[in-house]
Amino acid sequence: MNNKCKRFLGLLLTVAMSFTLVVGCGGQNSGTATKEVKMGTILPLSGSAAPLGKIGQQARDMAIEEINEAGGIKSLGGAKIKMVYADSKGDPAVGVSEAERLITQEEVCLITGCYQSGVAMPSTEVAERYQIPYFVDVPSEDQITERGYKYIFRLAEKTSWRNLAQTEFVTEMSKKYNTPVKTVGLIYENTAWGQGAVRAWEKYLPEAGLQIIMKEPYPTNSSDLTPVVLKAKQLNPDIIMMVSYVSDAALLTKTFAEHQVKPLAFIGTSGGFADPTYYNLAGDASEYYFDIFTWEPDVNRPSSKEVNERFKAKYGYGMNAEAVKAYAGMYVIADALERAGSTEPEKIREAFAATNINEGPTQMYASQTKFDKTGQMINAPLVICQYQKVNGKMERVTVWPENEARVGSEIIWPYPGVAK
Amino acid sequence: MTGININKNSVILAVLVVLLLLLPMVVTKPYYLHVIIICLLWAYLASCWNIIGGFAGQLSLGHGIYTAIGAYITVILFNTFGLSPWLGLFVGGGAAILLSLMIGYPTFGLRGAYYALATVAISEGIVVLLNNTGSIGRFTVGGAEGLIVKSVGSSAAAFQFNSKIPYYYIVLIMLFLIIFIAKWIKESKLGYYLVALREDEDAAAAMGINVRHNKLIAGAISAFFTALGGVFYAMLIRYLEPNAIAGASMSTQMVFLAIVGGSGTVLGPVIGGILLALISEIIRFYLGGQLMGLHLFIYGMIVLLMIIYQPRGIIELFEKIGRRFSRKHNDEGGRSGAEDPSGA
Repeated sequence: MNNKCKRFLGLLLTVAMSFTLVVGCGGQNSGTATKEVKMGTILPLSGSAAPLGKIGQQARDMAIEEINEAGGIKSLGGAKIKMVYADSKGDPAVGVSEAERLITQEEVCLITGCYQSGVAMPSTEVAERYQIPYFVDVPSEDQITERGYKYIFRLAEKTSWRNLAQTEFVTEMSKKYNTPVKTVGLIYENTAWGQGAVRAWEKYLPEAGLQIIMKEPYPTNSSDLTPVVLKAKQLNPDIIMMVSYVSDAALLTKTFAEHQVKPLAFIGTSGGFADPTYYNLAGDASEYYFDIFTWEPDVNRPSSKEVNERFKAKYGYGMNAEAVKAYAGMYVIADALERAGSTEPEKIREAFAATNINEGPTQMYASQTKFDKTGQMINAPLVICQYQKVNGKMERVTVWPENEARVGSEIIWPYPGVAK
Repeated sequence: MTGININKNSVILAVLVVLLLLLPMVVTKPYYLHVIIICLLWAYLASCWNIIGGFAGQLSLGHGIYTAIGAYITVILFNTFGLSPWLGLFVGGGAAILLSLMIGYPTFGLRGAYYALATVAISEGIVVLLNNTGSIGRFTVGGAEGLIVKSVGSSAAAFQFNSKIPYYYIVLIMLFLIIFIAKWIKESKLGYYLVALREDEDAAAAMGINVRHNKLIAGAISAFFTALGGVFYAMLIRYLEPNAIAGASMSTQMVFLAIVGGSGTVLGPVIGGILLALISEIIRFYLGGQLMGLHLFIYGMIVLLMIIYQPRGIIELFEKIGRRFSRKHNDEGGRSGAEDPSGA
């Protein structure tokens, strides 16, 4: 056989091999007797959101380890949870194809995920079509549970609920401290997130008798936000609410300080304001800024501290709100499986719909876990924190609602201005 | 002996077509079929781009706007009026032609990098527009939150199927169609004009070829079929997000696949599209859930190696093999391969 022929044969074999790789995977379903409950998770494990996907994966892994060590799913004969992770790259089309794979190829009994709302929208549609339960732990886009789907359950809050809570907070504070609030200025990045928030604000703020006198969108990752800040200074709204990613959040904060803008309060909408690097970038100018989120390390909820400590010991850094949702979510799933006593998707769906958890590790997220008819978690918790100096060090101090606030904490209202 | 060759080629082609038609009987798992559909769609889109980018040599880096305009118009018409996507796609395709003429008229005067830059600028502009347009009058565009295709269950009239098989046959027909059209263009007067102006625009103009006119025609054909690809994507994924359908990744992927496969040839983009999309899926299948980003790294390496060692496209590799093969088997075969540089 001469060289050319060999090369050709080699190529032919490569092609044949890759073909068998594709086709051959069909038969690798586990035929072993050890009982397993196989489920799938779609996360952005590569691309710009990869670090966030990774922490979601770690939180799940920790919960699964705990559940399996405690004897697995008892009603299924101690079956262990087995999680198959799929990478969405943060791309909707990839999310769809991975959902297809998890359902038809890996034959999972349910899917969890998937960080971005943009991926959740189409990939939940796939699950609905195959009638496989899809447990949405983090994505908050309102529409996800507003499409009349029966197999979608969401642990996270709706985006608009944050804006509602902000409104409630402002109304309560204005009464409590006797500082009348009439006008609000909105500054937001011009993305799906910002646009969604504005729509919710436009609904809730006027309902509470507040007038929106400024609506200022800006492009993400701006290099200069002085015009926005000067406009806010001129119009002088009582409250300034913002939607920003971290670099813009820090830039806004610093520019506000520079121009001595002094409303009653600055209120962020998580995202950039909740990013650990926000304080590093904005420095002391961030003092007394408010932010809203679903969980804070200092939040006064049962088992919150312990779980966070365990996570820190295991992975070297603390949890964030998304990790908490992923972690608590695994316990909600385990609870549903326990009650379903089956891996049949329909049975699991029914169990999810009947969920009512009032104790256990999910307490670190919410005192009650229950879904309404649309599959939306009722009473998803929201807390407001304020950047305050504690013993000379800037911290996010949970201040509202009172029963979940850090013990001994105090709200600084109105905004006293930048420390000179 | 050329006759034998053609015969052999057409036999291979016929066998391939039959195999492709029977494929859904072998591949019954929806996920595999879905992967194959995605591969064929990329092959189709790369072929669409190839008409203006390969044949005419106009490096358009903004073809995502055509997938977007086709998809958005069809879906908006369907969501608002219930107009069947089968009819909507002609409106979307028509709009893409108009858009390509509007863009082409001023920009086809630009050369080389300037034209490429102009297409990037226009497509970025359209992505921003889509991201910021919530609705136009009563038409919901969705803005950055994306646009959902109204779900009506399995309905052929609404281009929505629960099974993957109809999608497979539709994309297969689309692919055959674009190959046929590419072949027709290549062998027609238009094809020779395009090659002439690609190689030397001034010389072509001096020969009496109306350069802008021919570029506009090629651009319009390319835009129309790219828009159809966008409609197919919309009906398959059932959700449109501006960055995914119109963004840089969509635009550059088409260019990328066509160039790696062999731009300016009829089958190069098809082979590039299928092979690379398949490699990307296989790597993600095996490595996706593991080391972060490893599958993308490996994919990148494969593409890099292909570009370094096979700069004229994978198609050239196939041609070489084909030539060797035929030379071996009909002894006197020197001519057939050597005089067919454009190939396939």
